[in-house]
Amino acid sequence: MSDLLELVVSATASGSIYALVALAYLLILRPTSIINFAVGEWAATGAFVGVAAQTTLAWPALDGPYWLAVIAVLVCLGALGWLVEALTVRPLIARGANITSPILALLGVLVIFRESLTMLFGADPLPSPPPFGFKRVAFGLFAGVPQQFLIITVTFVLFAAVWLFFERTVWGRAFEAVALNRRAAALMGINLRRVTTFAFVSGAMVAGLAGLLMSPLTSAHYMMGLPLAIQGFTALVIGGVGRVEGALLGGLVLAFVEQLGARYLPIPSGLTLGFPFVLLILFLFLRPSGLMPPREAR
Amino acid sequence: MRLLRDALIWFAAIAAASALAFWLGGYATDVYRKMLIWVALALSYNFLFGIAGQVAFSHFAFAGVGAYAIVIFAHQLGLPFGLAFILALALSAALAFVVALPSTRLEGFYLALATLAFSQLVLVVISEGGDLTGGTGGIANYRLPHVFDVTISGPWYTVVLVLLVASTLWMLRRLDRSAFGRACRAIRDNAVAAAAMGIDVRRIKVLAFTLTSTLAGLAGIAYAYIDNVINPPVFGLENIFLLLFMIIVGGAGSHIGAIIGAVFLYLAPFVLEPIVGHGFMVVFGVLVVLTILFQPSGLAGLVNRWPARRAT
Amino acid sequence: MPLLRSLRGALALALLLTQGAVATAQETVKIGVITDHVASAKFYAEPVTRGVELGAKMINQNGGVLGKKIELIIEDDQNKPDVSAAKARKLVDDGVVAIISNTGSPATQQAQTVSLETKTLHLTPANSADTLTTQLDDPYFFQTGPLASIQLATLMAYTKSRGFKDVAIVRDNSSLSQSFADSFRKGLEKVGIKVALQEVIPQGATSAVANLQKVRAAKVDAILQAGVLGPEMLQFFRAYQQLGMTEPVLGSYNLSIPAYLTMAKDLMDGVVFVDAFDADKPEAKAFTEAYGKEYHEQPSSLPAYGWDGIHLIAQAIEKAGSLDKEKLRAAMASTTNYVGAIGAKGTSWGFRDGKRTGFDPQGAVVRVIKDNQHGPVVFAGQN
Repeated sequence: MSDLLELVVSATASGSIYALVALAYLLILRPTSIINFAVGEWAATGAFVGVAAQTTLAWPALDGPYWLAVIAVLVCLGALGWLVEALTVRPLIARGANITSPILALLGVLVIFRESLTMLFGADPLPSPPPFGFKRVAFGLFAGVPQQFLIITVTFVLFAAVWLFFERTVWGRAFEAVALNRRAAALMGINLRRVTTFAFVSGAMVAGLAGLLMSPLTSAHYMMGLPLAIQGFTALVIGGVGRVEGALLGGLVLAFVEQLGARYLPIPSGLTLGFPFVLLILFLFLRPSGLMPPREAR
Repeated sequence: MRLLRDALIWFAAIAAASALAFWLGGYATDVYRKMLIWVALALSYNFLFGIAGQVAFSHFAFAGVGAYAIVIFAHQLGLPFGLAFILALALSAALAFVVALPSTRLEGFYLALATLAFSQLVLVVISEGGDLTGGTGGIANYRLPHVFDVTISGPWYTVVLVLLVASTLWMLRRLDRSAFGRACRAIRDNAVAAAAMGIDVRRIKVLAFTLTSTLAGLAGIAYAYIDNVINPPVFGLENIFLLLFMIIVGGAGSHIGAIIGAVFLYLAPFVLEPIVGHGFMVVFGVLVVLTILFQPSGLAGLVNRWPARRAT
Repeated sequence: MPLLRSLRGALALALLLTQGAVATAQETVKIGVITDHVASAKFYAEPVTRGVELGAKMINQNGGVLGKKIELIIEDDQNKPDVSAAKARKLVDDGVVAIISNTGSPATQQAQTVSLETKTLHLTPANSADTLTTQLDDPYFFQTGPLASIQLATLMAYTKSRGFKDVAIVRDNSSLSQSFADSFRKGLEKVGIKVALQEVIPQGATSAVANLQKVRAAKVDAILQAGVLGPEMLQFFRAYQQLGMTEPVLGSYNLSIPAYLTMAKDLMDGVVFVDAFDADKPEAKAFTEAYGKEYHEQPSSLPAYGWDGIHLIAQAIEKAGSLDKEKLRAAMASTTNYVGAIGAKGTSWGFRDGKRTGFDPQGAVVRVIKDNQHGPVVFAGQN
């Protein structure tokens, strides 16, 4: 029993990371229909920015506190998201290019980010300091390390905030309107360009936050982006691309299947690596709308 | 007359590309051979992505299926080479068909993700396949057997690769100009309109996917005998990005573009690496973004434009 | 046919830039090195290569080989097997008399195709996979890295007294890790120790709790850590600590890579690992001193592999008395009792009975990690 509860904490934390990456996809995908594979690299960038802010490798005197790292990640990633949108996506949309053009261009951006990170920070994984240490803590029967609880808390708070934003604010409604029907939204006087910019900036911030949060568990390294991009997208497909809650649900389902499967299913451990891909294929073919189908236009 | 001219051009091109094999040194031959495999893969991938409009990430997985199948059938199981060859090709085709049936129902980039998941599964299987696949260490110590008492080795194997590229190109060009090719382009540009014109969209999509993936399997079979070693990393995700970039930079939908893109991007690291180190990948990324932004028809577009301007 | 012209033009350009640069100003003995500057093998390939460079410099200071200076030609294969074979061909075209492979094992395997075909002396001073000399019968290929099977035998001899009956193997899904786990499993079964389970922590995992819970539930006597990827290894130790586990952890010589000590700081105390380096040995001291003078830092054991590798080749060249490929191969194959910086006290390299793996079966040592440092040798050999 205590095993299961430990695992629940671990899987919820992993699922929260997947959910944050899925949310980063979703924020961009909903209003623009663009699947931005570079979010995984943005998460990696967030992890490196966080490490750089907290451990200025050459001058220990300049080491920043954790809250500074959070701000640095949000500011840097927001700026990078804006830059990428302005330089690659905006001109393509303005030209009226096919929707695959920005998607492919963002694959180029993915490579640029990853290789730049390698050149800037080297190929060795960098340890990332956890804000609350690594001593085992227990809440009743649920035991884990502080970082796992931090990840879970931040994720749930963030999802609640994003949900409120979409449901209760004018801006959020504008977002939804664009997602449902671009042309109609434009006719209603919504500034499409501004919505697109906002989508990329917020998506990059969420991705960067995901990277910052997970880096104490895995260290910051240049190979972390691609697996995250795949895990996050799988979560999105499982949950359904229509709703914010879907991203959270999808992330949790993926992580629970992975970790409960690895723990309790009697198959060789090597083959459990295939779980996420099997899930992705199953959902794409059998339930393409995901667990949470989009609600109809109101 | 025209037919004769075309035949002469083909013959001259094949002869010249083959002659190169006897002239190049060891290192250059090695690079040339691996480049020819990339060109063959780029040609079939260009048909799938550039002409049929399917963004699939499984091309290298099918090359892997072909390579592993031939080595397992012919050398691990000891079947006669001819039979092993046919079986390997048939396996690639059958697997491609099975993947195509559900995958081609998916819209746009979702196809990319389904095929990406498939190729990751292929990697998991060959990496965890025990003695049959050699695990992550791969399989070595086999060589191309005698077929009808003929052993093909040295530069003659390079000639085989040249013929592979030439036949791939010839076939894809014929297809492109047939009703099938026109149907593929119509579906790429507007699937709904294509269906309204009476095109069986599903059937064409499945056919295009199966055909090009089988060609990838064929290229994989040829790859297996270049170094007489196969191992999983070659068929991983890294290379599919490079293949996609080759098509984009060369010019999606153009056969010449696929060739130019593959040659250019395959050789570039060998030239760039001593100068900028691993930075060449950043250069590739920038190149892709710039191409999409400013030269959507790729390098082939530049080539095509140039003589036209001179003529006027 | 503009297509063909551009194709040939590109090739000619590549040729010019890659081959044309080889200047033969003065006569040197060229030795090729294949390393990984950028990809997943970088963190061990680079230190080993640094050892090769240092060794070559020392040999040249003492007059070189056959009265000529050694010239190293270093190529990067990005740990890609197909590129590694191409780079081996480039080195042969450049006229090297021997190739040292410091990259990943699959890459070294594929490069052997070239050394076999061109009859070029080929040495891997640090690769440890047992299959490198068994998959292909390449008489020109030699391996002096500590074979995984020897590492395991030493590890087993050290722990025999503890009476382990059931163990777990934990690895990641990299090729090196898989080959380690395989030889661990085979070796364990040979001495009658049961592998209760094998757990894989995949690349990109965000938690190893499930894997280690399974290990904990299996109630094994010890855990054999066969991982090589840093981030996944870090998760192993995090989960190990989080779950409050106490099973002894035994590691391969990969744990002698110093980068892990900073990455998994404070998590690895008490971990036992195999190494092939005894800092108290005179040859090791000579190496450490030379390294300190050149780079102003304490070396790990990794550069010592490269240092030994280049010295071994230099000795073979002197012994052959010429650069003839067949004579070089014969000279290398006849190496016996060579004492290098690597290896336990009183052991030596040698290729006896036609074997092409030269690591002394008694050459591995066991060290314990203490205070985030590789501690002293606590055990050596197999008995």
